[in-house]
Amino acid sequence: MRSGPWILLKLVVGVIYVFILGPILITAAVAFNESNRSYFPPRGFSLKWWGEAFAPQWVQPLMFSLELAALTAVVATAIGVPLAFAFQRYEFPGKTLVRTITLGPLILPTLVTGIALLQFLTVIGLGRWLGYWALLIGHVIICLPFSVRTIAISLQAMPGSVENAAAGLGAGPLAVLRYVTFPIIVPGIFAGMAFAFIHSFTDINMSLFIAKPGQRPVTVAIMSFLDFGFAPTLAALSILSLAIPLVLVALLGRFVGIGNFLYQEQGRG
Amino acid sequence: MADPALRLQALVKRFGAHAAVDGVDLAVALGEFVTLLGPSGCGKTTTLNLIAGFLAPDSGFIALNGRLVQDLPPFKRDLGMVFQDYALFPHMSVADNVAFGLKMRGVSREETATRVAEALSLVKLDGFDARRPNQLSGGQRQRVALARALVIRPAMLLLDEPLSNLDLKLREEMRGEISALQRRLGIATVFVTHDQDEALTMSDRIAVMSEGRIEQIGTPAEIYERPATRFVASFIGSINIVPAKVAEVPVNGFARLETPAGPAIAHVGSASSGRSVMLTIRPERLKLAEAGGAPAGAVAWSARVVRVVYTGARLEVQLRLADGSEAVAEATNDGRTSLGEGQGIVAWFRPEDAWIIAGA
Repeated sequence: MRSGPWILLKLVVGVIYVFILGPILITAAVAFNESNRSYFPPRGFSLKWWGEAFAPQWVQPLMFSLELAALTAVVATAIGVPLAFAFQRYEFPGKTLVRTITLGPLILPTLVTGIALLQFLTVIGLGRWLGYWALLIGHVIICLPFSVRTIAISLQAMPGSVENAAAGLGAGPLAVLRYVTFPIIVPGIFAGMAFAFIHSFTDINMSLFIAKPGQRPVTVAIMSFLDFGFAPTLAALSILSLAIPLVLVALLGRFVGIGNFLYQEQGRG
Repeated sequence: MADPALRLQALVKRFGAHAAVDGVDLAVALGEFVTLLGPSGCGKTTTLNLIAGFLAPDSGFIALNGRLVQDLPPFKRDLGMVFQDYALFPHMSVADNVAFGLKMRGVSREETATRVAEALSLVKLDGFDARRPNQLSGGQRQRVALARALVIRPAMLLLDEPLSNLDLKLREEMRGEISALQRRLGIATVFVTHDQDEALTMSDRIAVMSEGRIEQIGTPAEIYERPATRFVASFIGSINIVPAKVAEVPVNGFARLETPAGPAIAHVGSASSGRSVMLTIRPERLKLAEAGGAPAGAVAWSARVVRVVYTGARLEVQLRLADGSEAVAEATNDGRTSLGEGQGIVAWFRPEDAWIIAGA
């Protein structure tokens, strides 16, 4: 496999990796600058910007984002499981419409969804919800497609005969769900939950419109601070916000095996 | 008389306008191995799913040991089923897979352990308890599926093409093992397959299905040697079918026929009436001889050799009959046969080896 196209593919993949990892490494390096300027390579060495990133000014939005993302993930999953079952297993009037609306935020610009939600809440007189509850609603709306799709895929990938086999062995519908269906799709559920968490944690478009001052996710806080220019503190903060989803995915991969959340026959065939 | 293990009566299942199962009647005796054989789409798997309860019939009755079950959900039917893809629970060990049915029945821990060990030993998988399905080969998964179905001591065993995902050698091995196991346990079994060799070698009786109906049901020998319809005749094994007209009223079960290939006498077979019939003769019952070499009492037709296909133990001789139609004779490769293409020859058969079926 040393033909031309093969080498070209390797080259393209290499370039892509450089463009993914390069900026991250540079950002990480910038956070170690001695002075409050974003030199690269860093001049001098200091950990003070990392300390700065742990100041209440930043820890507060960071914790807020974490909490919001966690709650969003739980709610999106709680709604996503029954929705995925409904889409995958049942026929009902308006199914296509409901599915399109649920998955819509995947293709709609979040900015538009955000503005629309802001307008809607104001018009129906729930303007006072703006802030935390509106944020939660908004984030659930944009994260739901991720959990629904992932769970639906794991349901779809499970052969129907497995559930039939359980029923044939004497398991009633609830026992089938509890002992067979649910355990098989659990990695898919966790994967969907992780996607929802990450999507919420990294969102800025929705939060920009709906967050109230004092209740800002870290993305919005970084954005506002950028008005004053880039600083090593932001670099440190960016690396921190990057690490959180990474650690989450690594932990889930280790304990739930979301890496192969699809039902698949592994090893010998 | 005791109730049969299974009785199906006027069973119908429609999908939309299409009747997948179109009036099936079947009785399976205690301990009997019955195969539903047919091409894909003939309704055999649908019939099995109706028996198992995964589908509900539109009409008709299903009785297990004399108890009507067509309205019962699958988990109340007490059947052991093996699926084509084995349907093992991927998240459970081999032992937990096998124990599942016992757990659902609330069997005690000690008894479960004993019975699981027995079942695994029955399928020669001792010591595989802790393995996961994805650590097993196809044949081993098959055995686990079998153990899981048998451990609950079901009223009967349902097998849905369980051998079709195995390679040839393993398939033949499992064929023998399943048969032996079924006989040893004496468990009534319905086996679904599209493979005629499996059907012929494993079954007590075969029900040949086509378009949602049972075309014929009988022992393997009956199905093979006395096909009721043209479909059964041509679906199982290869067969020569020659259109014929009944020349005289049949006497003693034999009819004198006129065929394009020449006059013939054949067993009346399943043709009950009518002048236009089909004469069928299996290739291995069609013999070859030199001109004038056919024994007395045999039907002899002149033919020409088109091609000789060498298959090792046997020679498949393709012939052209007097009217230009083709026929196949199968000869034992005795090492002394010399047949050249285009050679004139006599194809002969004994009247009792030819079987008449109703005309198309």
